[in-house]
Amino acid sequence: MVASAKLVSSPMQPFLQVVEISKMFPGVQALDAVNVDIFPGEVHCWIGENGAGKSTLVKILAGSMTPSSGQIRISDEIQDISSPHHAQQLGLSFIFQELSVVNGLSVADNILLGNELSRGPLVLPKASFVRAKELLMRIGFGSLDPNRKVGQLSTAEKQAVMVARALNIDAKVIFMDETTSTLDRDEVENLFSVIRTLKSEGRSIVFISHRLNEVEKIADRITIFKDGGIVGTYNSGELSINGMIRKMVGRDIEHTFPTKNRTFGKSVLEVKNISTAKISNVNLAFQSGKITGIAGLVGSGRTELMSALFGLDRLTAGSISMGGELQRFRNCRDAIRAGIGLVPEDRRGQGIIGLRSVEENISITWAIGKPLRSWKRDSVVLAKKFISGLSIKTPSMGKQVGQLSGGNQQKCVVARWLAVAPGILLLDEPTRGIDVGAKAEMYQIIDQLAREGMAVVIVSSDLPELLGLADEIAVMREGLFMGMLGGDSSEEEVMSLAMGEVK
Amino acid sequence: MKRTNMLSIVFRKLRSWGRVMRGNQLMASLFILFVLMLFFTMTSSRFLTWDNMQNVTRSTSSVVIVGSAVTLVMIARGLDLSVGSLLAASGVLAASIASHGTNLWLSYLAAIALGALFGALNGTLVVGFKVTPIIATLGTLNIARGMAYLVTPSAILVGLPSNWSDLGTGSFFQIPYPVIIAVVIALFFGWLLGRTVFGRHVYAIGGNEETARLSGVNIRKVIFLLYLMSGLATGIAAVVLTSRLGSGDPNIGVGFEFQVIVAVILGGTSLAGGEGRIAGTIVGALIVGFLGNGLNLIGVEPFWQYVAQGVALIAAVILDRFTRRERSEASVRREVNSKDNFDKTEDPKSIGNSASHQGEIS
Repeated sequence: MVASAKLVSSPMQPFLQVVEISKMFPGVQALDAVNVDIFPGEVHCWIGENGAGKSTLVKILAGSMTPSSGQIRISDEIQDISSPHHAQQLGLSFIFQELSVVNGLSVADNILLGNELSRGPLVLPKASFVRAKELLMRIGFGSLDPNRKVGQLSTAEKQAVMVARALNIDAKVIFMDETTSTLDRDEVENLFSVIRTLKSEGRSIVFISHRLNEVEKIADRITIFKDGGIVGTYNSGELSINGMIRKMVGRDIEHTFPTKNRTFGKSVLEVKNISTAKISNVNLAFQSGKITGIAGLVGSGRTELMSALFGLDRLTAGSISMGGELQRFRNCRDAIRAGIGLVPEDRRGQGIIGLRSVEENISITWAIGKPLRSWKRDSVVLAKKFISGLSIKTPSMGKQVGQLSGGNQQKCVVARWLAVAPGILLLDEPTRGIDVGAKAEMYQIIDQLAREGMAVVIVSSDLPELLGLADEIAVMREGLFMGMLGGDSSEEEVMSLAMGEVK
Repeated sequence: MKRTNMLSIVFRKLRSWGRVMRGNQLMASLFILFVLMLFFTMTSSRFLTWDNMQNVTRSTSSVVIVGSAVTLVMIARGLDLSVGSLLAASGVLAASIASHGTNLWLSYLAAIALGALFGALNGTLVVGFKVTPIIATLGTLNIARGMAYLVTPSAILVGLPSNWSDLGTGSFFQIPYPVIIAVVIALFFGWLLGRTVFGRHVYAIGGNEETARLSGVNIRKVIFLLYLMSGLATGIAAVVLTSRLGSGDPNIGVGFEFQVIVAVILGGTSLAGGEGRIAGTIVGALIVGFLGNGLNLIGVEPFWQYVAQGVALIAAVILDRFTRRERSEASVRREVNSKDNFDKTEDPKSIGNSASHQGEIS
């Protein structure tokens, strides 16, 4: 309450100050001494590529991560945000893309969750109803019935519930992390008028979005994140959309990539008009010896395209054919049999079996259906071959894979597929979370595979990497295939296509 | 303040025990077994005798037979609670068929077939209908118990053929038949787990089901087969047990699933899946067996045995927790250290200190 008094008396005092915040993960500097000020009553947009550090900073402010160093000041007092509950008490409220609403409870119960109106142990339903209604009215959602179950609501309405919850606890700063990505145009307009209302009440909004036209429309100030640092904070109008893109991607290419004088062979896999629940009407062909990159923002359907190719998602339309032969994958075992391999996105969760040995992790797919007598001896030979062939650094092949470094874990996953010599290898974020040296090695391996005649498909959020490796780049946006660019395109070209900006 | 200090000291102690246990849980459970036997040898003169050893191993054999199969189930992050009731249902079925004068082997076969049937049912529920193992097998636990009573409505079935008890009570060169059967079955499961691709798939599913699936492992088939084998093993154990008892009793096997789970966990099979060995389960079963037997011999009331077993289970689970926590911390530390060099040790504190380290790491 002292905070709000201060706020009124000196409006130019920032409410929230992020001072030299850094966050280290093993091997990765997620945030490097960033400074941001949030003033009362401003809409402050944070933009940047995937992995630039926005979400890490949000998590730190939300109390679900602790910074490695730096300070957070609220109304000029140093605060050590220890938990999400603490963040709430300090006046910070968060609305994420995955909304944290309880579907089984009513709108009113969700709005008042954790701050229930009660007399002793008894909840007061009538007072709750009135309170919820009043809060919803304030943000222009007066028509929403507080007694409805939240599970029945649209995404936009659920977001309204979250905003009302933030108002109920009198939040001073409301963070909206990618909240518009699941909304249609009218709903976005609606949200914007809610944001203007909140602003007029002196609350600040931190709005994080990949949709730069929205940013241009709503922002008072824009802060651009890049590689864990901040490029700068600009007043709205100072930057055009193209200017924003340039500042977001403008950096020096820091890795050396193999030269691209590969020769392409015959087409290995073709997809015609395929659709799944997450992607629609995608047409692509993959040639042996060629590295095809797939670019797009998180949630654009890149990983879902891989899932469809690997037989994980049911096709609702279209067909996949390999070497002219129509394929029907009921599951990923069918895809593997047909000669497709997948190095999945989440190495720890989907790629390795951390508790088991290097040898087991390499030979697991290869060993399926091998004869009882000889498989174990052969498996050891196989593991030896790949440990030296891919220079996997491990003290022994019996070592638990979980104890190796990220790069060496990833090499084991790649080796698993090389052991069965697939015609086409899908790599989803193959270099995520591995260090620079291992990345360079991974690039060499990928290049080598293509030269040996494999068709290679790479999904990566790291644009320079994609441009450095791929012979051509398919760009996805919102589940749709936006177009094919050459491997010599610029980052700006890819980004504009991925963000749907017309040049 | 003082209280938290005490607690943290206890925790640290437990964790340092965990570090000793890590990697050789088998040694740890062997040690517990040894201490237990030493204690009972000193407190009861009747404990360390050939007769008593025969007696205990004979009665432990059914826990070993079923425990071997359940070890695989639990390594793959499953659970089978139905084994105790199934033991009764299969046993009673065999006895009732034999009491009608049918060939003895045919009745054994019927018991094993019923076990397989229930195993297949469990497998279908878990794999096909995606029912959580604990609920699926809790359901079949009740179904099997009910069937056991349905087969013999009037309590215990007696009047079995004279050669009925040969299998359960006979022995070969002083080694009881049940023990031989248990050893053969444990060897089979040990072989299956350690030497076959199937065994690797069991570990892989327990270690990371998603990775196993994406690597092309037919996880549905593997899990189904595990429950099937668990049922089969229970059928075999039922034959051995009812033969030993000499009657078809629908009340047997109450709390048997509990003994099996205690044995498996005491044997070092991780609750989180992905780890475990048959040898450990055998030692775990012997601990359970000798604990009950020893307490009996020194004149502790039978009800206290329930208490002792409960304590043993909880202690085993707590130890499991601590070894696991220790391991995950160790592996994270290791991963950080092994970035460039395996043997380089680094003060973990310095990792947090980004400013001074930044140049080195990125």
